[in-house]
Amino acid sequence: MRSQPRPGMDSKAEFGRAEGQAMPPCEEWQPLRILAASGDEVPSADQLRLAEHLAACPACSAEFSREEELLSLLAAHRAEPDASLLASCRADLNDALDREEERGWLRRFLEAALTSSWLSPQPAWSAAVLLLIGFATGILGPSLLVQRAQRRLGSGAVASARVGHAAGNANAGPGAPADKSAPPASMANTPITALDLHSADVAGISVAPANAGEPPRVELHLRTMQPLTVQGTVDDGGVKDVLLYVLRHGSQFHTGVRLDAVGLLLPCSSEPEVRSALCHAAQADPSAAVRLQAIRSLEGAATQDSVRNTLVDALAADADAGVRLEAARILSSLAANGQVPGDDHLRAVLRDRMNRDPNADVRFESAAAYRSLVPGGKE
Amino acid sequence: MELSVALEGSTPQRAIARGAGEEELVRKAQSGDRLAFDELIRRYDRDVLRLALNIVRRPEDARDVYQEGFLRAYRNIQRFRFECSFYTWLYRIVTNVALDYLRRRNTRREEQAPPSSPEVTGRDFFDQQPEPAVSANPEKRLLGRELARQIRGAMSLLSPRERMVFELKHYHGMRLRAIGEMLGTSEETAKNSLFRATRKLRASLEAVR
Repeated sequence: MRSQPRPGMDSKAEFGRAEGQAMPPCEEWQPLRILAASGDEVPSADQLRLAEHLAACPACSAEFSREEELLSLLAAHRAEPDASLLASCRADLNDALDREEERGWLRRFLEAALTSSWLSPQPAWSAAVLLLIGFATGILGPSLLVQRAQRRLGSGAVASARVGHAAGNANAGPGAPADKSAPPASMANTPITALDLHSADVAGISVAPANAGEPPRVELHLRTMQPLTVQGTVDDGGVKDVLLYVLRHGSQFHTGVRLDAVGLLLPCSSEPEVRSALCHAAQADPSAAVRLQAIRSLEGAATQDSVRNTLVDALAADADAGVRLEAARILSSLAANGQVPGDDHLRAVLRDRMNRDPNADVRFESAAAYRSLVPGGKE
Repeated sequence: MELSVALEGSTPQRAIARGAGEEELVRKAQSGDRLAFDELIRRYDRDVLRLALNIVRRPEDARDVYQEGFLRAYRNIQRFRFECSFYTWLYRIVTNVALDYLRRRNTRREEQAPPSSPEVTGRDFFDQQPEPAVSANPEKRLLGRELARQIRGAMSLLSPRERMVFELKHYHGMRLRAIGEMLGTSEETAKNSLFRATRKLRASLEAVR
């Protein structure tokens, strides 16, 4: 162990020493110095030794400082993932997890239970088991899938929706006005199932003006195996469930349809399930226009925890400056009225956005909200 | 705690999930609670994305690693036995996915058109980052950009393993033993990778400090 200082040794020159030159005497301490600069991983037996050496050796002490400086420099310039990339990753992952859930328990069971280590040594048993599973899946699978999908959608309301089969009905095409005079009995009324919606495309939404004080009548045109039309007001369970389904499965439907769904559900935003679907759209819809519209529609319910969390997430991570600005504006308004508790996460997001958001308006609104939460701007 | 108090009151499930501890969330996720898994994602996904970016460098590749990493975690969460923290387990999955990705990318490299260098395409993750604490002073901004460029260059000299060890140690605060386990190697090997990474970075950045 070297414990004497080396007068006159220039540590910078020493560091840049070319290969092939003699190892400087204090090089043996470099691993411990790096460990010490990197955190608390120096073995306890070496801690005292290192401390004594650093105290006695100015060259090593200077090297240690430079190693700490380097790590500080790198920490200060640590690149953060771009917020838009993070937001799009989240949206893609959300969709992928939805698909994963739909694949259901059987696949997970098979993956977990029938590993190749079991299959290959016992091929006869494996074949028999797989055959059995195949039969069981063929017999039970479809009904299980229907039940599962109906549970996800809230089967009661959906199953009771009255729909007209558009085949052979000249008025039932996309864009056709709702035939209010046609009695339900004239249509082939059948319950709309979750599976209908699962594979459906909403071809169009028509809204017929209503008398003052009455909700507008809505006509939804679904492209399924057999074209379907769902009629009623937004308060009707069937119509509402289709609209909620549209918002929860954004990528399955056209942007215009999703925008219409947000607009139609706006009056019901105080209802928990509508609020939940709007929050989902505000966070995960692939279209910025839909996310923006969803954020706006949530303003009336912004004091709810779930909505406030949605706003904070949108401000923190949405790729679109317009969406972030709208979220910041609503949060700023809430903060100014004392309607938002200043939790650590919210303060951190506002501080981050007021300093780092690329959009000046977002920075301004975030700063305004932050000032309302933290008078004087300092914690 | 202020946060959990703020989340009490009206109790939507997401708010409950946000106030829950990690172990509780993992147990709920193991029983099929998607909201709990979503909350785990929200807690760790920024770090996961940063880790992926630092290993595979290109945002489009990092996006794939991010998604595949979380999907594998979702599919296998039943197998998590609380023998380590959830994030250690998650990072282990993500690093494995990222290393597989790099291996496949290297295998494909000769079959496909080689990717342009980041300097040419400007698509490297670090090229897209805003300068921290953007200054109105153009001179300072220029210096900051130059420094960021040099750090980028220095990091690119590290091998993927060295970059990963450096990232996990310095930016995620992990112990070398855990890093070694995560990479399927020993603590000593992880330590050596850290030494090599630090030495290379010092040599590259000596002039800028």
